[in-house]
Amino acid sequence: MDVLLFSSSEDKVTVHFINRDGDKLTAEGKVGDSLLDVVVDKNLDIDGFGACEGTLACSTCHLIFEDHIFEKLDAITDEEMDMLDLAYGLTETSRLGCQICLKKFMNNMTVRVPEAVADARQSIDMSKNS
Amino acid sequence: MALLQRGRCCGAAATTSLRRLVLGPQRRVCESHVSSQYRASSSLPDEKKEFLQNGPDLQDFVSGDFSDKSMWAEYKGNLKRQKGERLRLPPWLKTEIPVGKNYNKLKSTLRSLNLHTVCEEARCPNIGECWGGGEYATATATIMLMGDTCTRGCRFCSVKTAKNPPPLDLNEPYNTAKAIAEWGLDYVVLTSVDRDDILDGGAEHFAKTVSHLKERNSEILVECLTPDFRGDLKAVEKVALSGLDVYAHNVETVPELQRKVRDPRANFKQSLQVLKHAKKVQPDVISKTSIMLGLGETEEQVYSTMKLLREADVDCLTLGQYMQPTKRHLKVEEYVTPDKFKYWEKVGNELGFHYTASGPLVRSSYKAGEFFLKNLVEKRKTKVI
Repeated sequence: MDVLLFSSSEDKVTVHFINRDGDKLTAEGKVGDSLLDVVVDKNLDIDGFGACEGTLACSTCHLIFEDHIFEKLDAITDEEMDMLDLAYGLTETSRLGCQICLKKFMNNMTVRVPEAVADARQSIDMSKNS
Repeated sequence: MALLQRGRCCGAAATTSLRRLVLGPQRRVCESHVSSQYRASSSLPDEKKEFLQNGPDLQDFVSGDFSDKSMWAEYKGNLKRQKGERLRLPPWLKTEIPVGKNYNKLKSTLRSLNLHTVCEEARCPNIGECWGGGEYATATATIMLMGDTCTRGCRFCSVKTAKNPPPLDLNEPYNTAKAIAEWGLDYVVLTSVDRDDILDGGAEHFAKTVSHLKERNSEILVECLTPDFRGDLKAVEKVALSGLDVYAHNVETVPELQRKVRDPRANFKQSLQVLKHAKKVQPDVISKTSIMLGLGETEEQVYSTMKLLREADVDCLTLGQYMQPTKRHLKVEEYVTPDKFKYWEKVGNELGFHYTASGPLVRSSYKAGEFFLKNLVEKRKTKVI
């Protein structure tokens, strides 16, 4: 009985997000929450994040991880890869935030929210996927 | 949302003053002291007392008249988003809460036949107006075929998304035709979600619905607002040849913002091809598209987009204000004024579109029937003369 009421601080993970304006947003989530859950539940100011609600049908939760964190993440599935490939500004350490669940080793990590679109001054964007 | 929140705050002030009015006479009876009714207010600072005296009372809220159109020009709120800000809703975008007999009747018919409307799924602000019907106009609804779950997640749209939505309801074409016949509409808009999980993108299902409809009622005018079928022109052809009158497909925004606003599987060139192809296989069809304003586009970009669309022989254009549906979606970058919308309407007419419906609350199928029929009647009149 007493275990249920005991709120462990051991399962809390702090994450820092660098948003597109360069601002640092810090939020806390529980082990097991996805990064999308953290952004949505804590109302972080990241525009248009998680449009498909975490169903692997978009790439709006695209995040860039630090190298040492990226190595320890669970292997990427084919479904995630398909959507990640469509993301703008893909890097070597990119993943979709809805698929990454918080683990203790992620405490105090920093993730970057990449640019969503090319500079608007560029001419018509002819997508390679047409 | 902003309106409801403000209403709640003001409501509290209204009830406080009302309570004071109610307490007054009772106190007078109990204590037979005329001044005792003012005892409650003596604890308030003077400026608060004045605020309550001069502020709205219950009558203002009960009458429901909160949008004074003459005050739009005086609106001093911020219309262009600054960094870190979330814009407040300007007065010309406030709408009434949908209620009424027609609204409820439509809702229950839809549920009983397991039909969905984009009106509900995408949270359209005009739902009360269109479903309620006007004094002369019949209620209209835009039926959404192939379920309420889409396979893409665009950052402006709140329709549910899933990788593998439930399979198609094979009775849907028949049920839709039946429902529409029941309502006795003379103009109907059919739209759908994206179904990239289905081989032809759902084109066959779409086409079947149109042909069932035309079978039941050959007089009805049908507009189809289709997805891009991932550029599959055979699918576009199937729908275009199904017997519809208006083929609509939305480009949504200027080419420069396509990547930011829409799903990466969609793009401007592909959408334009859909519209061109529909016209190619069915020259009598009228093509239509729609752009959302307020996502960060510049005026030059809007103008050049309109030119591109006209060059692709798109007949009708609608322009509306983007409104953020949920917190997971893009913020509004700018609230375009009603005057600016009127300006774009003029530009559209000058460029030669059959009609340009432009206004903050205009959506692709908003009063689509009215515009279409009005235009058709006028064109026929000039031909006779």
